[in-house]
Amino acid sequence: MPVDENKLKRILNKVQKPARYIGNEWNVCLKDHDQVRLKMAFAFPDLYEVGMSNQGLKILYDSVNRNPQLLMERVFAPAADMENLLRENGLPLFALESRESLADFDVVGFSLQYELSYTNVINMLDLSGIPLYSDIRDNHDPLVIGGGPCVYNPEPLAPYFDFFVIGEAEEVLPEILSEIALLKAKGLNKRDLLVELSTRDGIYVPSLYQPVYDKGILQGLKKLESRAPDLIKKRYIEDLDRTPYPTAPVISYIETIHDRAVVELFRGCARGCRFCQAGYTFKPVRRRSQDSVIDTAKQLIAATGYDEIALSSLSSTDYPGLELLISQLDSALPGGSVKCSLPSLRLDSYSVKLADQLHHGRRSSLTFAPEAATERLRGVIKKNISEEDIFAALKDAVNAGWQGFKLYFMIGLPTERDEDVEAIPELCRRIRQYFKKREGRSLKISVSVSTFVPKAHTPFQWEPQLTVEQVVRRQEILKKGFSNLPGVDYSWHDAETSMLEAVFARGDRRLAPVVERAWQLGCRFDGWSEHFSFKKWKKAFQDIKIDPESYAYRHFKYDQSLPWDHIDCGVSKEVFISEHHKAVYIDGGEGGANGTFEL
Amino acid sequence: MERLSFSFARKPELAYISHLDMMRLLLRALRRSGLPIAYSQGYNPHPRLTLALPLPLGVTATEEYGEVYFSESVGPQIFLEKLHRQLPPALELTGVFNRKPELPALAAEVSAAQYRVFIETYINQGLFFQDLNSAIISLLDKEEILMERINKKKKVTYKNIRPYIFKANLKQEEKNMLELGLLLKAGSSGGVSPFFVIEQLQQAGSALKLAEDGLWLVHRQKLYKGPEEALQPLSEGM
Repeated sequence: MPVDENKLKRILNKVQKPARYIGNEWNVCLKDHDQVRLKMAFAFPDLYEVGMSNQGLKILYDSVNRNPQLLMERVFAPAADMENLLRENGLPLFALESRESLADFDVVGFSLQYELSYTNVINMLDLSGIPLYSDIRDNHDPLVIGGGPCVYNPEPLAPYFDFFVIGEAEEVLPEILSEIALLKAKGLNKRDLLVELSTRDGIYVPSLYQPVYDKGILQGLKKLESRAPDLIKKRYIEDLDRTPYPTAPVISYIETIHDRAVVELFRGCARGCRFCQAGYTFKPVRRRSQDSVIDTAKQLIAATGYDEIALSSLSSTDYPGLELLISQLDSALPGGSVKCSLPSLRLDSYSVKLADQLHHGRRSSLTFAPEAATERLRGVIKKNISEEDIFAALKDAVNAGWQGFKLYFMIGLPTERDEDVEAIPELCRRIRQYFKKREGRSLKISVSVSTFVPKAHTPFQWEPQLTVEQVVRRQEILKKGFSNLPGVDYSWHDAETSMLEAVFARGDRRLAPVVERAWQLGCRFDGWSEHFSFKKWKKAFQDIKIDPESYAYRHFKYDQSLPWDHIDCGVSKEVFISEHHKAVYIDGGEGGANGTFEL
Repeated sequence: MERLSFSFARKPELAYISHLDMMRLLLRALRRSGLPIAYSQGYNPHPRLTLALPLPLGVTATEEYGEVYFSESVGPQIFLEKLHRQLPPALELTGVFNRKPELPALAAEVSAAQYRVFIETYINQGLFFQDLNSAIISLLDKEEILMERINKKKKVTYKNIRPYIFKANLKQEEKNMLELGLLLKAGSSGGVSPFFVIEQLQQAGSALKLAEDGLWLVHRQKLYKGPEEALQPLSEGM
C-alpha cells in the first residue's frame, strides 16, 4: 500500500528540499505493480541529490526496467528532518515511484559506494520495518542485496545482506532478478534460493560461509554449503558497444551534484596507480567506439535537454583520438548550446590542450591531482609524472588563459617521509614564483589534501594507515608550510573520518555489530563532516569491544588470510605482491611504510 | 526575433520545487522541444526566458506567466504543441500570445498577486476561524509591520510592509477547510511573500497554535499590473 497521501502532504510542507521525496521526474519509469513478476527498490544510502548523480543507478534503472516483467524503483536516504517526521507520523520509508514501503518489494538493493554510508543502510532498513539481519528475515521479507565498489570487501556488512553482486551489475542483475522470480514461483524457501543463486558468477551469499579465527586472527572462510564456490568471480561487461546504455535517464527537478548528461568513454584504466581500487577492480580496459559515443550523446541530449555532457571514465584523456571525438561531438550536438566536459584531467600538456579545446568563456581554474609532491613518492604510487611535465602543463594552461589551479594531494602514502609532506607547500610556492617571475601573473591556487586509505584489491592492501596522531602531525607541517604562502588556499580532510573509512575498507565480519551500534547511538551521514561524530563511533567500538586502531593501523603479511580473499577481482594476489614489492622496495628507494613494514 | 508570452498552471505534484528548479525545468523542456530559443549577447550568453514572478516553493498556481524569445519565428500554435509534449502533466500550458517587442518585460509589469491559502484545520474549526480572523483584523489595524532584510552590504535593515498588504480576508470553505484570501504587492518595485504574512498571522493566534493545528496550502490565483487603486489582470493587453 502506498503511504498515506494526507500525512505525506503535511510532512512535505515542513521539510527542507521536499522535492527530494516527490519523484515524478522527467523520464521516470512507472509500472503497474500487478503486471510485473518481480519488484526491486534501488536504495541509495545518501541524499537524493548525491544518489541521482550516480551513474550506476542510471545504468541499473535502465537495464532492469527494460525488461517488462521486472520493475525497479528508487529510494534515497532521508535527511534528518524527513527521518524524524516519518518516525513521528508512523510512515515507512517509501520508493519514489509508487510510494510503496520498501518492505513491499521483493528485493531491496543497496548501492554501496562509500564505507561511511553504512549507518544509512541500517537506518533505511529500520525505517522500512525490514529486519536488519539476513538470518532473521524470512521468505516474506524482501531480499536485501548490495553492489558497488564497497562489495570488493563486503565482510563488515555480511550479516545484514542476503547476497552481494560483485562487479558490474547491468547484465547479471536483470538475469538474477528473473531467476529469483522463477525460483520464488517454484516455492523455494530462502535458504535453497540463496544456495541456487550462489552458483552464479558474481553472486556472493555471505551466510553460506563462516569466518574462522585463531587467537583473534582470521584464518579464512569455512564453507557451510558444498555447492557454494570457493572464489566469487566478479562479473563484467565485455563489449560496451553491445550493452544498452541509459540514454533517457531520470532528470531531477532539484540540482544534483553532477547535473549533466554523462556518456562513458571506457571502463577500466590502463594507468595502474597503486592506491586506486577502481583501477584494479574495473580491469580490463574496454572502450566504447567513437560512433557509439557520438550516437549516445545525441540521444542523451535529445531526451534530457541538458546543456552539458561529460565524457566520463577513470582517465578520459587516455581515450584514443579524443581530440577528433570532441570536434565530431561539437558538430553533432545542437549548435553552441551544449558543451562537453572532461571530469578528470591528467597533469600533462595534452590534457591542457584538450581543456583549451573544450572550454569557452571564463577560465577560472583547472583541477589536477598530482597526489604526491615528490617524484620519488609519485613513483611509489605509480603516478608517473615528472616535475618537468607539471610545469610544462601549467605553463600551457596559464598561456591559454586559466587564472588558477586546484590541486589534490594525499598524505600518509606508503614510504612517505616528512620531506614528501613539506614538498607539497614547497611545490605550490615554486609554481607561484615561476609564474610571477616569468609571466608577471599572480595565480590562485587551492590545495586539497586528503589522507591515504589503504583499500582491498590494491597493491597497498597490506599497508597500515597512518595513525590519527601521525596524520595530525603531518597536517601541522602542511599548515605551517602554507601559512606563509599568500594566494594559496589550503584545505584538508579530517583525520578521524579517514581512519573510520580505513577500518571498514579492510575490516572483517566482526565489525558488523559496530555499524548497528553506531546507528543506535545516532550516527547517520558519516561522510558529511557536519554529521560525523567520532565520539559516538568510539563509544560504539567500545560497546562492541573492538579496537578500531587494530583495524586501521594493521599491516597484513603476504601469507596472511585477508578478509576479502574469497572475492576474485580478476587480478591475482601474485600481481599485487609484485606491485607492492616494486613500490616500496624499488620505486620507493628504501623499504616500507614509516620504515616499519616487514614481510 | 520572435517574442511569445505564455500562461501556465502548476498543480500540487509540482508544488515542491523552487523558482530556480522551475526555470531549469522549462529550459530543459525548451531544449528538448528543439524550438530555436534565443540567447543573450555577451560573455556568458544565457537563454532568453523569464517568468513574470517567481513562484515560491510549496505554492500551486492557476495563471502564471512567462515570456521567451526565439531566434526564428515559431508561432503560438507550434510553441504550444512542441512544448506541451515536453512538460510534466503537473505543469499545464494554458495559453500562448504574441507579445509586441515594444511592450515592457512581463516581470517589470507585475505589481500584485492574489493568493488563496487553504487551511485544513485539525481541531475545533470554529475557534480556529475566530482566532485567525482576529489575527487578520489586528494585522490590518497595524500601521507598521517590519520585515527584516539583509541588504547587499550584509547589514540588517527593516522595511515596513504594511502598505504591501492590499487585502486579507477569511471565509469558511467547507467543513474543516478555511480559505484565507490575500492580495499582496509584488514585483520588481517591491513586494511581500505570502509566507511572511502567514507567519505573522500564525504568531498572532492567541487561543490556538495556528501553524501546527492546521495544514496551510498556498495557491496563487492571479497576477496583476498597474497601481493599487487600478489593478488590472496581467493578461490585459497581452
